[in-house]
Amino acid sequence: MAYAKANIFYEREEWKKPVLLSVGFHGLLVLSIAVWGYVAQQHSTANDWGIKQGDAVTAQLVSASIPIPKAEQSDNIVANESKGVTQTQPEAKPVEQPPDDAVPIQGKVKPQKIEKPVQQAHVTQPPRPVPTPETAVPYGEGGPVSGPFGSVTTANYKGGFSFQNADFGGKYGWYVDGVKRRVQANWLTYEIDPRIKAPHRAFIEFDITRDGSPANVHLAQSSGVPSLDQSAMRAIQRIDSFGKLPEGNSVTVDFWFDYPPK
Amino acid sequence: MNKSKSNRIVVLGVLAFLMVASGCKKKQPAPPPPPPPKAVSATLSANPTSIEAGQSATLTWSTENATDVALDGNKVDPSGSQTVSPTQTTTYHLTAKGAAGTQEATAQVSVTPKATPTPTPAPTPTVTDDQLFAQMVKDIYFDYDKADLRPDAQQALAQAAQVIKQKGWKVQIEGNCDDRGSTEYNLALGERRADSAKQALIRDGISADVLKTISYGKEKPQCTDQNEDCWQKNRRDHFSLLH
Amino acid sequence: MVKEKRNGTGKSSLLLLGFMLLGSFLSAAAQDRIKIELNMGQERPRLAVPDFKAANGDPQTAPLNTVFNQVLWNDLDNAGIFDMVAKSFYPSQTPGQPAELQAKAWGDPPPNAGVLTFGSLGVNNGKVDVQGWLYDVKNPGAPQILGKQYKEDATPDMARMIAHRFADEIIARLGSGIAGIAESQIYFVSTRSGNKEIWSMDYDGANQKQITKLGSIALSPRISPDGSRLAFSGLTRDSWQIMMYSLELGRTVAFPRNAGDNFSPAWASDGTKIAFASTIHSGLSEIFVADANGAGARRLSTGKGDVSPVFNPKTNGQIAWVSGRTGLPQIYVMDADGSNVQKMTDQGYAVSPAWSPNGLLLAFAWVRNYGPGVLGGSDIYLMDIASRQIIQLTHDGGRNDFPSWSPDGRHIVFQSNRTGNEQIWSVLADGTHLQQLTRQGRNSQPNWSFK
Repeated sequence: MAYAKANIFYEREEWKKPVLLSVGFHGLLVLSIAVWGYVAQQHSTANDWGIKQGDAVTAQLVSASIPIPKAEQSDNIVANESKGVTQTQPEAKPVEQPPDDAVPIQGKVKPQKIEKPVQQAHVTQPPRPVPTPETAVPYGEGGPVSGPFGSVTTANYKGGFSFQNADFGGKYGWYVDGVKRRVQANWLTYEIDPRIKAPHRAFIEFDITRDGSPANVHLAQSSGVPSLDQSAMRAIQRIDSFGKLPEGNSVTVDFWFDYPPK
Repeated sequence: MNKSKSNRIVVLGVLAFLMVASGCKKKQPAPPPPPPPKAVSATLSANPTSIEAGQSATLTWSTENATDVALDGNKVDPSGSQTVSPTQTTTYHLTAKGAAGTQEATAQVSVTPKATPTPTPAPTPTVTDDQLFAQMVKDIYFDYDKADLRPDAQQALAQAAQVIKQKGWKVQIEGNCDDRGSTEYNLALGERRADSAKQALIRDGISADVLKTISYGKEKPQCTDQNEDCWQKNRRDHFSLLH
Repeated sequence: MVKEKRNGTGKSSLLLLGFMLLGSFLSAAAQDRIKIELNMGQERPRLAVPDFKAANGDPQTAPLNTVFNQVLWNDLDNAGIFDMVAKSFYPSQTPGQPAELQAKAWGDPPPNAGVLTFGSLGVNNGKVDVQGWLYDVKNPGAPQILGKQYKEDATPDMARMIAHRFADEIIARLGSGIAGIAESQIYFVSTRSGNKEIWSMDYDGANQKQITKLGSIALSPRISPDGSRLAFSGLTRDSWQIMMYSLELGRTVAFPRNAGDNFSPAWASDGTKIAFASTIHSGLSEIFVADANGAGARRLSTGKGDVSPVFNPKTNGQIAWVSGRTGLPQIYVMDADGSNVQKMTDQGYAVSPAWSPNGLLLAFAWVRNYGPGVLGGSDIYLMDIASRQIIQLTHDGGRNDFPSWSPDGRHIVFQSNRTGNEQIWSVLADGTHLQQLTRQGRNSQPNWSFK
C-alpha cells in the first residue's frame, strides 16, 4: 500500500511536464485539423465519394402497367429543388446579369464566370465558399454564352475559347457549351508545377470533326511552362468525342488555359 | 340382243364420261414460268459418326446457292469443315439461306463412353455398397480460404483409400465453400479442395482414373446460418460413389 | 520505479497526422482523376421536361402518355448529366408543339431552363404517335436542337421504348459525347423460378424475363457485344460447361465441351474471342482464351484458382482476372497473350473485376480486412489503373459484389444484400441515383450489355 501511495505521489510530482506536453500536442492537433480542414476545402475530402451509410434510399418503381408517380428522394445528395449550380452559395454575391435579350457581340470579350459545381453536399462541413470573382455569372442564371468567343473562369479553370466559325456559336450555343464543359472539366491542374506564381497562358488549337472527335490538337502558343502546356494538351486529348457536330464537317476551336487560376 | 345393246350404251357412256372427265381434269396450258431462283442445297456430314469420349470427329459441309451459312448459330464459309469433340451424343445443325429460300442439314455424332482398360469390369455396386461408402468415405473439412488438408483429413483419407482400393470403387470428389465469399472465386476454391483430396488419394495408391473432381462453390450449402459452426460445415469435400 | 517515457507517443501521432494530411491530398487527387475518367467533373445543363400533351381523347392515349412521361423523366434524370429543373418551377402553360412554345417563360427564372423537351402523344387506330422536340430556350436565334416523330403499336411496352429512344437522342445531342443507355439491357441470375437461371431486364428494372431453362444451376451470364448471344456457365449432370444461348434462335446452340469444369466466360469487345476459366489442363482453374465459337482454346495463366477474366474493352489487349495464387484472392492484369502479369491489389479479399468502357478504371469487390470471424461483407471500389489510386463506392460493408459497367461508363450495376437478401442495384459512379432494380427471389451477378 505504502508502495502504491509512494508511486502516485511520485507521479504527481512530475505532472507538470506531461500536462504541458499534452496541452502542446493537443494544440498542435487542433491546429493541424484546422489547417487540414482549410486545405481540404480546396479539394474534395477523402470520404465524400460514393454511397454513404444511412443514405435514404427510395425504391423507384417504374412499371409498365401502373404508372406510379416518382417518389421524391429524401436526403439525396444532388437532386433537390435548387435553382441551379449556385445552391450551396452561402452568401448572395453582386452578380452582373446581362439583359436577357443581349445579343452576343462578336469579338467583344464578355467576362463570364462559371462556377465549379458542387458534386456532393458535405454533411460534416460548412458549405464551401467558391472563390470566384465578383462578376461571376453562373451557368443557367445569366445570359446566353457569348457566341463563339468568351473567357471563362471556374474554381479550377481560367481561360477562354473561340470558335473560328462565327455563325456556329450563335446557332449552336448548346453545342459550344458542351465543348466548354468537357474541356474545363478535363483539365487536371495538379499536373502543373505548383511553384508557378506569375501568370502564364497556353494556347491550344484543335479541330472538331464531323463525328465530334478532336483532331489536330496542337500547341498554338506555348506558355513557357512545359507542365502547363502538357496539361492543357492532355485536357483536350483525353476527350474521345464532343458529340456529333450539328452542322458542317469541321470546326476549328482555340482554347487558352491560364495558370495560376487566381 | 338387249344385253349387247345395253352393253354398248354402257361402254359408250363410260367412254363419254371418261372423255369428259379427262377433259375436266385437263389443265389449262400454263403460261411459261419465270426462271426460278436456283435452289439452295445444304449437306452436313460427320466423320466418323460414332466416337469414344475424348476422341474427335470432323464435320464437313457444303452448300449451293447460299449467301448466309451458319453452323449452330455461328457464321461459317459456304463449304468447309470443323473438328469437334463432344462429350455426349450431339446433333449439329447447318442452316443455309439463299435467294431461293432456306435449307437445313443436320449431322449427329454419337459418343460412346470410353472403354475401360481393365478386362474385368468393376463389380456392380449394391445398396450395401452405398451404405458402406457413406460409412467409410466421410466428408473432410477445411480452414477458411484454404485447400490444404488438415491432419485429421489426411488420416480420414488414408483410411478411406483402403476401402476404395479394395472395393474398386469410382469416386466423385465435390469441393464446397462457405457462403461468405464470392460465387466465382468459390467455384475455383472448391476445385482446389477437391483436387487436394484427389492428390492425397492418389498418393495413397488409388488410380487417378477412378477419381473425378467437381466444385460446387457455395451453390450447394449444407446449412445457411450465419455463424462459424455452419460455415465450417460448408467448407468441405463431399464424396459420392459413381455407379 | 523508473519514470515512464511518454514522448514516443507524441512523435507517432504527429507522423500519423502527416500521413492523414497526405492521404487526404492523395484521395482528393484520386477523386479528381477518377471523376474525369468517369466524365463527371462537368457542369450540367438545366433541362426542363414537362409532360407531353395528350393529342386526342382516345381512351388509350392518357395511360400511354403517363407511362411515356414517367419513363422519359427517369431516363433523363438517371443519366446524371442534366440538372433537372424541378416541376414546381414550370410555367402553367405546357407547349405541345413548337407554335405553342413561349421560350422566355421557360428560359427566365424561376424555371431558368437552358434546354426544354416537349411534345405530344396520341393513339390512333391502335398506333401510338409521338412527336417530340428539344429546344434551346436561352438562345432566341435558332432554338430547335431536335425534332423527332415515332409511330408504334399502342402498347405500354412500345410507349416505354419510344421514351427510351427519345431520351437517348436527347442525351446524344446534349451529352457532348456521352452515349445514352436508356435502351440497354441487364442480364442476371435469379432464383425465382425455383433454381438459378439467367434472366434479362431493361436498364431501369422493367420487363424482367427468364431466358434460360436449364433446370440445373446457371451462373455468370455475359452477353455478346452485338447482343445476339449469351454465354454462361451451366451445371450439367457431371460438370460445369460454358454454354451459349442464342437470343435470336431462342435456344442454346452448340459450344465445345470438355472433360473439365468451366466457369466465368467473358467476351472481347469486338466479339471475336471469349476468355473463361477451366480445369481441363491441371484440375485447377486456369484462364483460357478461345475464338467466339469455342475453337482454338489456349491456356493463358498458370496460377492456382484463377477465375473471372475480363477483357479491357477499349483495346482488348489486356485481361484482368482473380487469382488465389498468393492466398486470398487478388486482382491481376496481364496482356492478352498471357505475358506481363501485374498484381493490382495486395491485401484483403479482392474479386469480381470489371473494366470500364474507356479502359481507364477497374471496378471490383473488396474486403480490406478479411479474416475467419469476418461476416464476409465486401464493398465496391473503383481503381484508376494508371495510378493505382482507389476510391470507395459503397460504404455499408454489407455484401456488395459483381459490379458491371454501363455502356456510357458512368453507371454501375451490382448485387447487394443490404435489404436482407441478394438483389440487384444500379448507381451512378459517384454514388448518386441509387436504385433497386429487382425484388423477387434472390438475384445476382448482373451484366450490363455493351450498347
